[in-house]
Amino acid sequence: MRGKFPTFIFVFGLMLIAACPLFGQDLDSLMAKEAKPVTIYTSATFKSTRIGNGHSIEQMKTNQLEFRISHRFGDLNSGGYNLYGLDYGTIHLSLEYGVTDWLEFGIGRSTYEKTIDGFAKIKLLRQSSGEKNRPFQLSYLFSDEYISSTADPLMTNTYSRMTYVQQILLARKFNEKFSLQLTPTYLHRNLVATELDKNDLFAMGVGGRYKLSNRIALNAEYYYVYRANASVLPVTYYNPLTVGIDIETGGHVFQILLSNAQAMREGGFIGNTTSSWGKGGICLGFNISRVFTFNKK
Amino acid sequence: MKKILMIILVGLFGTALKAQNIYFTKDAKINFNSSTPLEDIVAETNQGTTFIDLSKNEVKFSVLTTSFKFRRALMEEHFNENYMESSKNKEFAKAKFSGTITTPVDWKSDKTVNAEVRGDFTMHGVTKQITAQAKITPGKAGIAATAEFHIVPQDYNIAIPAAVSDKIAKEVTIKVEANYAPYQH
Repeated sequence: MRGKFPTFIFVFGLMLIAACPLFGQDLDSLMAKEAKPVTIYTSATFKSTRIGNGHSIEQMKTNQLEFRISHRFGDLNSGGYNLYGLDYGTIHLSLEYGVTDWLEFGIGRSTYEKTIDGFAKIKLLRQSSGEKNRPFQLSYLFSDEYISSTADPLMTNTYSRMTYVQQILLARKFNEKFSLQLTPTYLHRNLVATELDKNDLFAMGVGGRYKLSNRIALNAEYYYVYRANASVLPVTYYNPLTVGIDIETGGHVFQILLSNAQAMREGGFIGNTTSSWGKGGICLGFNISRVFTFNKK
Repeated sequence: MKKILMIILVGLFGTALKAQNIYFTKDAKINFNSSTPLEDIVAETNQGTTFIDLSKNEVKFSVLTTSFKFRRALMEEHFNENYMESSKNKEFAKAKFSGTITTPVDWKSDKTVNAEVRGDFTMHGVTKQITAQAKITPGKAGIAATAEFHIVPQDYNIAIPAAVSDKIAKEVTIKVEANYAPYQH
């Protein structure tokens, strides 16, 4: 250039290029330019609101009601007289409602110890990718359980019948198929079986799912229950392990599972599991979930 | 030097004209209906991004499949998880259309024209030719347009299991409504 081209024309030319980004562009590049980065929130980390017995990070969205029917047969090792457990069964029924996308309330009734339970599940953090990137999701669960069974004569008042459960649900959907959840749990029983049993129990749950197809998933869930004095307790407790298959058909999810826990609420399966996989103390069970919508059009 | 300046000015003017030929909106409404007597399946989004280039009669659409809202949260989840597989890869995350308005439209008039739009519709990673029936109303401030077309999910490799095949319509009706404004960069 060196003097042949007046500088102002060169500058003017640059300004022109800067001022007219449309010049020489087609609709595809305009489309790409207008596609602002968006945040996509992860959904369907698990198919159901339970992994097996325990809660999953999933909850009902605004104005959605879930009706759950859960059933566990008796232990496989209870012998041919009981048709290997099929003669016996416990049931848990519950209604769970999403007040908002982040707040769910539920009430339930179980034949095991004739409990009535109520819980609140609160979504604190959502997993997301895109503009906002968060690799995990976090929820908090609080549950009260009331044992209404009159079998224990020591349970003389309401206070003695209460169990309180608090859980942090920390989950990550690693990819389309695989999700994992950690569930630190704190359980407080107001009245326990013996003096040696602790009122407070700490447990760590690990649960995962692997999708076998779009509508079928394999689930497993294990709770490690910390009992420092396990060796001196009159009853041997075991850590609950549940493996199951989720089958989803439109508005229903069927969960068919095997577990060494008979109870279907935290106070029971974390606190009182006395059957062992090693000794054939396994029960067959299923959960059925049906979702109703109360959203207006 | 004056010649160069003239060329640049003409170039500038020309570009400005070119820009006026492009119309755009980011909040086009797109809804689809695959209802059957057994189940109402309707979803809508208002996040469609679309351009029209009047000089070429060219139309483009793009929409994130996760932006569709359903009345039933579970249906929305299944739409993205099982049918569109929206988060499987980047290609599946968007539905796109790229085509031309094949009926001549007088962009200077403000009369509504029934026009045919033909082009490539891409979703779930599959591209097929479609023809949409459109109503286009040009105007000074902007262009209003609606369009409707039909697709068959199986054409786009979307499998519908036998258990729910009675609940989902064999043919899905897609309706589009967009109010374009001149594109300002």
